[in-house]
Amino acid sequence: MNSLKYHAQFQRDKMMDNGPDSSILCRELKWLMEDAVEDHSLFSKMGFENSDEKVKMRVGIEELYNLWKERIEKRRPFQYVVGCEHWRELVLSVQEGVLIPRPETELIVDFVCDVVSKNEDLKRGVWADLGTGSGALAIGIGRALGIGGRVVAADISPVSVAVAAYNVQRYCLQDKIEVREGSWFEPLKDMEGKLAGLVSNPPYIPSKEISGLQAEVGRHEPRVALDGGVDGMDALFHLCDGAALFLKPGGFFAFETNGEQQCRDLVDYMKNKRSESLCNFEIVADFAGIQRFVIGFHH
Amino acid sequence: MAHKMIWKLKPSLMLPLTFNSQSKHVIRFHHHPFSSLTIHHPINYTTTAAANTNNNGDYVKAKEFLELTDEELVRQCEMDFLKSSGAGGQHRNKRESAVRLKHLPTGIIAQASEDRSQHMNRDSAVKRLRALIALKVRKPVDLDAYSPPRELLQILPPKSTIRGSEIGPQIGPKNQKFALGMQALLDLIFAVEGSISEAAKYIGLSTGALSRLILSDDSLRKEVNDLRASKGMKPLK
Repeated sequence: MNSLKYHAQFQRDKMMDNGPDSSILCRELKWLMEDAVEDHSLFSKMGFENSDEKVKMRVGIEELYNLWKERIEKRRPFQYVVGCEHWRELVLSVQEGVLIPRPETELIVDFVCDVVSKNEDLKRGVWADLGTGSGALAIGIGRALGIGGRVVAADISPVSVAVAAYNVQRYCLQDKIEVREGSWFEPLKDMEGKLAGLVSNPPYIPSKEISGLQAEVGRHEPRVALDGGVDGMDALFHLCDGAALFLKPGGFFAFETNGEQQCRDLVDYMKNKRSESLCNFEIVADFAGIQRFVIGFHH
Repeated sequence: MAHKMIWKLKPSLMLPLTFNSQSKHVIRFHHHPFSSLTIHHPINYTTTAAANTNNNGDYVKAKEFLELTDEELVRQCEMDFLKSSGAGGQHRNKRESAVRLKHLPTGIIAQASEDRSQHMNRDSAVKRLRALIALKVRKPVDLDAYSPPRELLQILPPKSTIRGSEIGPQIGPKNQKFALGMQALLDLIFAVEGSISEAAKYIGLSTGALSRLILSDDSLRKEVNDLRASKGMKPLK
């Protein structure tokens, strides 16, 4: 009876902000069970006859129910409920206070792989991922770099720094990726003119749109990772200025944006103000066809 | 240092585990719920093949498709992400990770939705596309001057009388290279109009050995049996 009530509440709620529909929720429920079962190999055998084997759970049924209730009642993101997100070939730990990495951002790693496959110097250079959050980009890139290649991952949030460091360690990349705490280029003072590459998925949502976001995002994810100021471009402009200063000659950059308008504004800004150091600007669409990324090089 | 930072983490599903372990102050990485990174998800994908390749233009390209790299192959495709809509990016908590590839030159469609990561679904969709191209795209074979291509020899069992030892170990259905051999085998079987005993002669195998090879892969078996059914022949079992 109760669960019906939650469901009705959820239905009303999600109508308001285009939240997940029942097919997505069913899939999440299946994933929740997968993560809750101790031995994954048993999962595929369940539901068939003759399986009197006992299934050991990581959490009690009561707690599992409460977790799901939070998902429905509070619209807590599924990724926070299970504590992880699957991103590229990685499984990354996430929790409240850390932005959940988005599938769109996976593409930035492809850009980097492409660039380093053609340029041994960049492959062995030092890269920076600013506003690293869970460390997703840093880890994706760290795995693509060659011997001698390193990544500095920075974030202003101590929770992000801890989670990113944990994820880096889980993939045994602590020798290759260094996680630093601080705002944008602040922790990179020793790197001026030395970076082989710079990537970021900075906050880019215009402030006035924050209140209208899907509940999972607006109520639960860290505002500092979403809110990009009046027109959403505060961090992006700052990153462009920093790219001009911190990249070495031939260095590569890739930034994620809110969409077509921001991409164009960003390219205009760089053409007008930073063309003495940055060049070869390109706007790249994500898989949904939205112009999402600005990439380019240092002269 | 690292330990201190980790201790701040607020694990959710991993929490009870941590406290079940003997020492309360050490997080045991091997007990972490996500430490088994090679999770095998039960597969419930849908694969739709809408091939049609009976015009000669496609014959020429057939083998070449499979020789393309994944990237080149994807470039020939239209890719959609089911139900993707709206602004995307940071705006959404996006659980929709299904990927659908439509290979424009052949019209073959492959999709994958079983994984939680879009990237992994893309990989699976490409693998599936390769297998479907092998199954659905046919090339003509000149039986008078027939000599089995190397990729076909590689999937044959060593007892084949025309398979030299330089071919290396037999490639099974789980190997990605199996698709190329399977394609060449189907080309031959189509050329002999579904007769297993005829086809077996061309590749130095007994009828029984070739049947066993065909039965070793479900999709290959189905394709052969569909052909046999269309010719009024009994299916292989």
